[in-house]
Formats: sequence, C-alpha cells, structure tokens
Amino acid sequence: MIQFFHVYKQYFRSNEALSDINLSIERGEFVFLTGASGAGKSTLLKLIYKEEEPSKGQILIDSINSTLIPPARLYKLRRQIGIVFQDFKLMMNRTVHENVAIPLLVRGEKKAAVEKKVNSTLALVGLSHRKRYLTSHISGGEQQRVAIARAVIGNPKILIADEPTGNLDTELSIEIIRILERINASGITVIIATHDLNLINLFPKRIIKLDKGQLVLDRPSEAGS
Amino acid sequence: MKFMLHAVQQALTNILRNKTVNFLCLGIIAFTLLVPGIFNYISFNLDRYISRLSENIEAIFYLRDGSEGGEVERMMQRIQGNLLVKEVGFTSRDAARAKFAREFPELQYILAEFSNSPFPASIDVRFRADARSVLQIESFIRDIEKNGIIESVQLNLDWARKIALIKKFASFAGLFLSAILLIVSIFIIFNVVKINIFYRRDEINILRLVGATDWYIKTPFLLEGLILGFLGGTLAGGLLLAAIKIFPVYAEFIFNIVKQLIDFRQLPLRIFWELVATGSAIGLFSSFISLRRFIRTAPK
Repeated sequence: MIQFFHVYKQYFRSNEALSDINLSIERGEFVFLTGASGAGKSTLLKLIYKEEEPSKGQILIDSINSTLIPPARLYKLRRQIGIVFQDFKLMMNRTVHENVAIPLLVRGEKKAAVEKKVNSTLALVGLSHRKRYLTSHISGGEQQRVAIARAVIGNPKILIADEPTGNLDTELSIEIIRILERINASGITVIIATHDLNLINLFPKRIIKLDKGQLVLDRPSEAGS
Repeated sequence: MKFMLHAVQQALTNILRNKTVNFLCLGIIAFTLLVPGIFNYISFNLDRYISRLSENIEAIFYLRDGSEGGEVERMMQRIQGNLLVKEVGFTSRDAARAKFAREFPELQYILAEFSNSPFPASIDVRFRADARSVLQIESFIRDIEKNGIIESVQLNLDWARKIALIKKFASFAGLFLSAILLIVSIFIIFNVVKINIFYRRDEINILRLVGATDWYIKTPFLLEGLILGFLGGTLAGGLLLAAIKIFPVYAEFIFNIVKQLIDFRQLPLRIFWELVATGSAIGLFSSFISLRRFIRTAPK
C-alpha cells in the first residue's frame, strides 16, 4: 500500500511542484496518474521510488516511512518497485537479454535462474525473438517493452510507468497498456503516469489527476464501482 | 565469490573499453613509481657498500702510561659488551714495538734509540658490519674516549661519513621527488576513475534504480584503480630491472666510481614488491576518493 500524507515538494527557487497531496493506493490497484505537462506527475512518481525527497509530509510504502530509509538501505525499497521510465533508461550498447537481466544480476541470482526468468519475461512482453539483439537495434515500441520486462522481472510489488506510451502510436500504446494489465492481474500494483486522455478512456481504471501540483480528481475504477 | 568475479570482469571490461585513457594512466603510474624505485635501489646499494666497508672499521684506543691492568680489563669488558663490537684485543707496549719492527724493518734503527718501547699500549676494537651503525659507532667511540685511561683514539670514519651523507641526500631527494610524483599519480588515477564514472553515469543511475547496492556499483571501479595501480607498479619494476641491466654497460665506461658503488647485478625482490604494493595502494586509494565524491554528489 502507498500512502501520501500532506506531501509537499518544492524545488529550489521555484513554485511548489506538489502541494498538500493526500492519497492512498491499495495493493493490486491499477491507477492512471494524469494531468498536463508540469502538473507534477513525474515528481509524484519519483517520491514513491525515492529519487526525490518530499519537502514536507510523509510517504508510507507498505507502512514504512520512506523518508526514514537511509541511503544504504534504499536498494531494498527499489527492489520492491519496478520502474518504466519515460526515456526508457536502457543500456543501448547491451543486448535485450542483458538489459532485462540486470535487476536479477544485482541481486546475485544464479545464471540458470536468470536465464529462465529472462525467457519467461520476454515471452510475456512478446520479445523472445529479439533476445540477442542490441537494444539500439530494435524499434522504440520494442525498447518500451524491454523497459517493461526489466521492471517486472524482479517480481516487484509496485510497477511505476512514467509516460510509457509517450512516443508510441495508438495501436502500440493500447498493446503496452494491455501488457501492463496482464502484469496487474498477477497482483502487482500498477501506476501509470500519462497525459493521453484517449487512452485513459479506453480502460476503466482509477484516475488520479494533478493540476499545478495539486490533486484535483481521484476517480475510482469504473469496473470496481 | 560470484560477485567478485563479476566485479573483476566488469573492471577489466572498463579498462579495455577506455584503452587510451587507461593505458596513458598506466604509463604515468609506472613512470611516477619508477623514480622512487630508482632512488630506493640506489639507497639499497649505498647501504650494502657501507656495510662492506664497515667490516673493516677498526678503532685503536691508546692508553695512558701507567694505566692499571684492572682498569684496562674493565674497559675491555665494557667495550666487548656493546652490540656493535665484533672483536676486542689488547696490544701491550712491547707488542706494539714488535709489531712496528715487523712491519717496518727498515726503520728498526729508530727503535734502537729507545731502551723501553716508545709506543703506548692500546685496546684494538673491530666492529660488526652494519651500514646503519656508522653514526652509532662514532657515538660509542666518543663515549669511550672520555674515559681517563684513554690517551687518544685512532679512527678514520671520513669515508663512512661521506657515504652516509650521500645516502642521506639520496634518501631525502628520493623521498621528496617520490612524494610529489605519488601525489601526481593519485591525482591522475582519481581523474581517470572520475572520467570512467562520468562515461558510465547513466548506467550507474540505472543500476541504482533497479536496486543495486552501493558496493555492487563501487567495487568494479575500486578494482579498476587497483588493477591500474598493480599493473603500473609491475611495469615500474620491469622498467627498473631493464634499466639495471642496460645501465652498467654505459656506466663501466663513463662512471667507473658509480659501478664500484652500485652492485648492478640484481634488483632486490623487496624493492619490486614495494613498487607493486605502492602502485596497488595508490590505485585503490585514488579510486576510493573519486567514488566517495561521486556517491556523495550523485542523485540517490
């Protein structure tokens, strides 16, 4: 469970990126985080995986106050969260297999186990045939799926995706969301930041809307209501 | 074990990936270590030379006329008790006269003028060979000289003083130059590791975000510095060895005195390992400092 209590975030000499955010996301939920560019979506996500610290307020991840986690223990939090970045953050000079395997390698998992999990995860995102390709040699949509595979291979409790369909056409975007739905079905909490309202309307999920750093809408999942 | 293997593999890959920078760095480390290596080698040889000469150090304490046998005996025991002393002997006045007659038979007519021996009795002391003991020997002799039964002392330590001075100068110059070059070396490795970190900052950031521990990220960089330092030290040792093999050919013609002072036959293993150990330590230390700075300033 993710809980925000009166969370504020202000960057140096600028307006508040987030202002008095209170929200709660239950385990296994699928949430669209939406709002215009600069509304604070990425900042909110960064606060969850602790790339940023709140200026004020508390953030609880599974009842643990994330602001109190010391830097040396941060890896424990990060291993519970899979992240799909807006710019993918892939190692372009490595193969698809190598990129996807990284979260397992940093945990010291055995080679055979890594191989097995990489194969099943690549099958999940439909990229088994690209396994040995250099990441720089595959398309943008495929790179997006590599990023998703890397995010879920460590079996995280939470999956965060920041504009995962930003550079993709509608067809590919729907395909990506369907993959994320499948991942959510296995019990992983999924939070997707997107400003694509057409896409949101296609999927009856919970919507949290930000505007100028403030939470202006929190609409429950239509399927659940 | 698996983690270390991965880290070593990663470090070697990084070194090969940035060949130009790393090989340049390797050359500079080797050069900066070669200089202290040369001074260390010269100092080692001067020590050996002083040791060889020290085997012949002899002091002759001439005794005052009328010194009593008991006093002389106590003095000899006191001298013998010192760890620097190898041998103590007593030469009576008559023995000194006999020795003179034996060594200078053509001057025997002079002795005929004297009814008693004109030579004083003496305590003859030979010292143990130890280059470091020249100053101690001198101090010991000055101490014994103060005793009332000693008339005078015959000793020639001028050569030893001069060699000791040269050695002191070589050690000081070596230390000074080494200190400067070691700082340069640390600075260079520090920056090479910094450049490597900069090249790989995105990768480091990704590793952090997928849950890598700080040590998982840091270890390959630390090993990179260690390997560069180790190879630099080994190269410096190799260059020193090559110089030792080549230099005597010229030295024989140009600096005959140098050839006498320096035994070019071998590079002591101690100096070689010191170079390797120093190189490795510098590499490890520099990359550690560089990483500490990066870890402090990088986003979490």
